[in-house]
Amino acid sequence: MRTILAALALTTALTLPGIAMARPVTLTTTLKNYGGNGAYLAIYVTDPTGAYAGSLWMAGTKSKYYEHLSDWYRATGGNAAEINGITGASVGAGRRLEITLDLADALFDAGYTVHIDAAAEDMRDSPDEITVPLTAKGAGQPVPGRRYIADFSYGL
Amino acid sequence: MKKTISILLASTALIAVIGIPAWSAMYGAGQFEGQHDAALGAFQAPGASPVLVSEDDGEDRDHERRLRRGDDDHEGDQEDDDDGGNASGPAPAGSVAPPSNGLFGTGAMPKVQVN
Repeated sequence: MRTILAALALTTALTLPGIAMARPVTLTTTLKNYGGNGAYLAIYVTDPTGAYAGSLWMAGTKSKYYEHLSDWYRATGGNAAEINGITGASVGAGRRLEITLDLADALFDAGYTVHIDAAAEDMRDSPDEITVPLTAKGAGQPVPGRRYIADFSYGL
Repeated sequence: MKKTISILLASTALIAVIGIPAWSAMYGAGQFEGQHDAALGAFQAPGASPVLVSEDDGEDRDHERRLRRGDDDHEGDQEDDDDGGNASGPAPAGSVAPPSNGLFGTGAMPKVQVN
């Protein structure tokens, strides 16, 4: 019986690391009180060469406004398939958006970068408002935005 | 001893049966590079170089373009964007699984909270 348990423990210990290839990551974006309507935000990732790798979240559901998230739009052509299942409402001034996603481990410490493009009604578009490398060390470190975003951080 | 070896073999086979499909689901569409090629292929002519998302790292990217509710080239759309989307827009979170772009480890639904 003991040998059975030992054998099971050994095989489980050997195989679990291979299966655990993703982790829950919380992206927190706090907006400034910029005095306007809700902001559209495109949160996406580029690979080590700077090429678009995929989207993580879209705040704002009206596709006709996506062209104002200009870097994201240039990379995707505004293709809705890129953001199916990861789209929610726009975010009001002064509010904090928290998104928890199950992200692949391979994204961390491998040269991938999170970007956020932002736009708000009757205010200037703000592409690449946030640019932050995905590293284990950078987790929990707030990064300030330029126009609409007070700060952004990701927690592992 | 024979018993232990047979248990080891059985558990390894079981893990392989469970693990290989899971691995394939994540990496089956190709490694990240392959997925990039596939994603970029939809927007680029064959042979074109990858699109750099941002060509300018400067802090002073001055964008005069503004989002206006009046910029309406889609007749019939409502002005409120909190209505869960429209026919031509993306599927809202929770209604379908996230896209298979290689960034998401599983098909788990995202959790979102606005404070």
